[in-house]
Amino acid sequence: MCGIVGYVGSGAALPVLATGLSNLEYRGYDSAGVALANGDLDVYKRSGEVDALRAALPDSAPHQRGIGHTRWSTHGPPTDANAHPHTDCTGDVAVVHNGIVENYDELREELVADGHTFTSDTDTEVVPHLIEAALERGAAPREAVRSAVDRLEGSFAIVVTMAGEEELYATRRDSPLVVGHGDGEQYLASDVTAFLEQTREVTYLEDGDLAILTADGVAIEQDGESIDRGRETLDWEADAAEKGGYEHYMLKEIHEQPTALRQTLSGRIDPDAGTVDLDLDLPAEYVSSLEEVQFVAAGTSNYAARYAAELVEELADVRATVEIASEYDFSGGRDPWRTLTVAVTQSGETADTLSAIRSASRAGARTLAVTNTLGSTVTRETDDSLFIRAGPEIGVAATKTFASQVATMTMLAVALGRQRGTLSSDRASEVLSSLRGVPGGVQQVLDRADTVAEVAREHADSDAFFFVGRQYGCPVALEGALKLKEISYDHAEGFPAGELKHGPLALVTPETPVLAIMTEGSRPAGTLNNVKEVQARGAPVIGASSHEGADRYLDVEWPVPDVGVLEPLVANVYWQLFAYYVAESKDRSIDKPRNLAKSVTVE
Amino acid sequence: MTEATTAVILAAGEGRRLEPLTNRRPKPMLPIADRPLLEYVLEAVVDAGIEHVVFVVGYERDRIQTHFGDGDDWGVDVSYAVQETQLGTGHAVLQAAELVDGPFLVLNGDRIIEPAAVECVRETLGTGENGAVMAVTRSPTPAEYGVVSLEGDRVVDLVEKPRDPPSEQINAGVYGFTDAVFEAIRATPTGADGEQSITATIDRLLVEDTVSAVRYDGLWLDVSHLWDLLSVTGRMLDRDGGAVSGTVAESATVADATHLASGARVGANATIGRGTTLADNASVGANAVVERSVVFPDATIGPGAVLRDCVVGANATVGANATIPGGDATVVVEGTVHEGVRLGGVIGDNATVGGGAVLTPGAILYDDVEVAPGAGASGTVEQGTQIRRG
Repeated sequence: MCGIVGYVGSGAALPVLATGLSNLEYRGYDSAGVALANGDLDVYKRSGEVDALRAALPDSAPHQRGIGHTRWSTHGPPTDANAHPHTDCTGDVAVVHNGIVENYDELREELVADGHTFTSDTDTEVVPHLIEAALERGAAPREAVRSAVDRLEGSFAIVVTMAGEEELYATRRDSPLVVGHGDGEQYLASDVTAFLEQTREVTYLEDGDLAILTADGVAIEQDGESIDRGRETLDWEADAAEKGGYEHYMLKEIHEQPTALRQTLSGRIDPDAGTVDLDLDLPAEYVSSLEEVQFVAAGTSNYAARYAAELVEELADVRATVEIASEYDFSGGRDPWRTLTVAVTQSGETADTLSAIRSASRAGARTLAVTNTLGSTVTRETDDSLFIRAGPEIGVAATKTFASQVATMTMLAVALGRQRGTLSSDRASEVLSSLRGVPGGVQQVLDRADTVAEVAREHADSDAFFFVGRQYGCPVALEGALKLKEISYDHAEGFPAGELKHGPLALVTPETPVLAIMTEGSRPAGTLNNVKEVQARGAPVIGASSHEGADRYLDVEWPVPDVGVLEPLVANVYWQLFAYYVAESKDRSIDKPRNLAKSVTVE
Repeated sequence: MTEATTAVILAAGEGRRLEPLTNRRPKPMLPIADRPLLEYVLEAVVDAGIEHVVFVVGYERDRIQTHFGDGDDWGVDVSYAVQETQLGTGHAVLQAAELVDGPFLVLNGDRIIEPAAVECVRETLGTGENGAVMAVTRSPTPAEYGVVSLEGDRVVDLVEKPRDPPSEQINAGVYGFTDAVFEAIRATPTGADGEQSITATIDRLLVEDTVSAVRYDGLWLDVSHLWDLLSVTGRMLDRDGGAVSGTVAESATVADATHLASGARVGANATIGRGTTLADNASVGANAVVERSVVFPDATIGPGAVLRDCVVGANATVGANATIPGGDATVVVEGTVHEGVRLGGVIGDNATVGGGAVLTPGAILYDDVEVAPGAGASGTVEQGTQIRRG
């Protein structure tokens, strides 16, 4: 959830750390800090956004080594004291940490009894004191770090720097860390965006690794034995961290959807033949014998999975379920040999989803990751990976990755259906032609952004917003409401349209706009009845529609181009733009909504 | 004088003569071999050593921003100045004032040039005189541009689109200025058309100041009419060679000097002739023949269709066995009759030509037009029109 950055080299550490923290800020941001080390150790930290820290930093500093952190509070409120880095009693050991130390109460009691003084409410602070205790016992720095880490329970990524030592120490358990290799300088981060401007040569650390970084290179050991983790070259662009003329990343990313979707599909589908090539090696026998495809995901990915589950049931004729990752348990008498568990996570680092996929693996199910991030933890913990190719997404509110996730899993559903023999090549051709039409369909919606902005501003001050849809329109209704909640802080709910009359209709008034999806693949005739219900109660109705005759019952009709069962996916772009312009008219912090972070790496 | 490190590129205009292709994108975003015109301009300034580029954007600016971002893909720092209403090129340059420091270059965002054009203006600007610099090139159709008269290396006269051009020497649309130009633009009275043009300011500078000319005789290509898109594409494919990276059926024939984007698809036995470009996610069906045509992203050309000298807009559909035979046409653009232009047809974004339909050479279908299967279309067809058979 939080961000870590580290530097050791021949240049000045301060600018590298400050840039790295700004690039990481989307990950977590209620406080930030850096520790700069040479013979001594200087620590600067502040609650608030990274800019608050930047204001407190000196213009330049001679230190050639340092660590930095942006925090999203789990233990203790966001204060200067609780910001990382944390230090020991001597002030010579500084530590930044992502994750949770589960046994910190116990460790803290023990350290306090031994005379250590604590200055924060964080779980992290036990780490520098444990290192200090080991150093006092005469351990060498490396041993001291290792022995301290051995005492910790929980999940973490930790980076340590010490006054007078030329090395940085880094270790991880269930929380990502990546090393960047420069020329005479080395970088460390929880996410490559921190140092993409500096280097693209990286090494991903594995659980239990202890990495020792010096200006000249990186040594990695596991259980005291040296190990070679190999290097990868990233082809992601550093403009991951830049907005290119747009006021917000979110709007930029909404507009990138046609390009992202074309990239998702490129070279993978043949609509004429009705075939899909996803480069997956699922054995034919296994696929035919499947009894269930089980999706696990959180947030927007969960809604993308719901869309996919519907498609899998329709096209591959196999039971498909969607689980909230944090609620997941492999149970209910499922046969693990006949279950495919699909983890859907943009970042590939979502802790809830990782924990769920581990439990599926333990139970013996085959696992598949659907993710945007090459080299992410989820790809290393699942049997197969499918990349959505949406390119970097910075805005906390997911937009283009939702579209690319659904497009990718549509291909998966077709591939499963064809492999199982449940999907005719005619129907496969039809679905794939619709899929091919999605980028052009999305562009048509984007071409109407001005109209959407106008309507959004007009309704921005409503009491609440209700999103409804059926079938494939249902997950899109949920996603539309989530987007609005996330960035405008308005009360918004999504419902299957038929559910309105079973309760939520009581909430509908002339001050609560209803946004309805009435397209192919969303049983528009049924939804039209529900639209009449809400209209009778005076609610303004905005429809994303391709249903003939719907306009008579709509206050605003936005046309959705003809792309079959994927029309609700295209309609979703109207909801994205609507949410954006409502939030914009209220001057919200759109890219960094309060209390939220992009990739949630705590459970 | 310090050397200019900034280029201001004017990309806010609409390009109405290129409708319907400019209905949803600005003229600088029209593709030549699958890259926007503006990208050629950007590459020329980057190759000439410019470090910072300001795009002045306005009309449909999302398209430009989404494509270029912050310029990292081109190794240059791109920032944006927004011209909310199109009040002329001088007004556009003013919008960039705060993003410019010291001497700078100004370029049109819709002319293909080579780095030499940028380099020579930059060098002359750096020689220390406090005047403006203008690149001058030759055109076989000078009457469509600003015609200049020279005395030695001095520009002495500049006439916009003269009926009777005194020479073939025209303003190439590449300028060098110091920041004194901002004051000069502000002092230039607004023209009769309500616009503040940069050439009007230069015209004043001719009287009060010195404007140096640098002669540029490299590549200089303008897309002023729809049919130019085809010829300029051909030129650039000849110069740069083709590139085929899509999914192409083994039995299909793809000529040299074609450009197929990585997400493009070509079906069995189809023929892709010289001078053709297929953008991302565009698809050509089995047995179709596509020659000397520009196909935009997401467009679909059905099996057996025949297209020559054609522009197929984004997400447009041409049905099975539709025929656009191509060849010479007479086309009327904004009241001017152009005879003998080579244009099979233009199909606007999201338009549909039904199976077996036929387009007469020079047909221009605006966005969302639907031509029924077996029907015929000719001339200019307004947006959203449905053409039925017979």
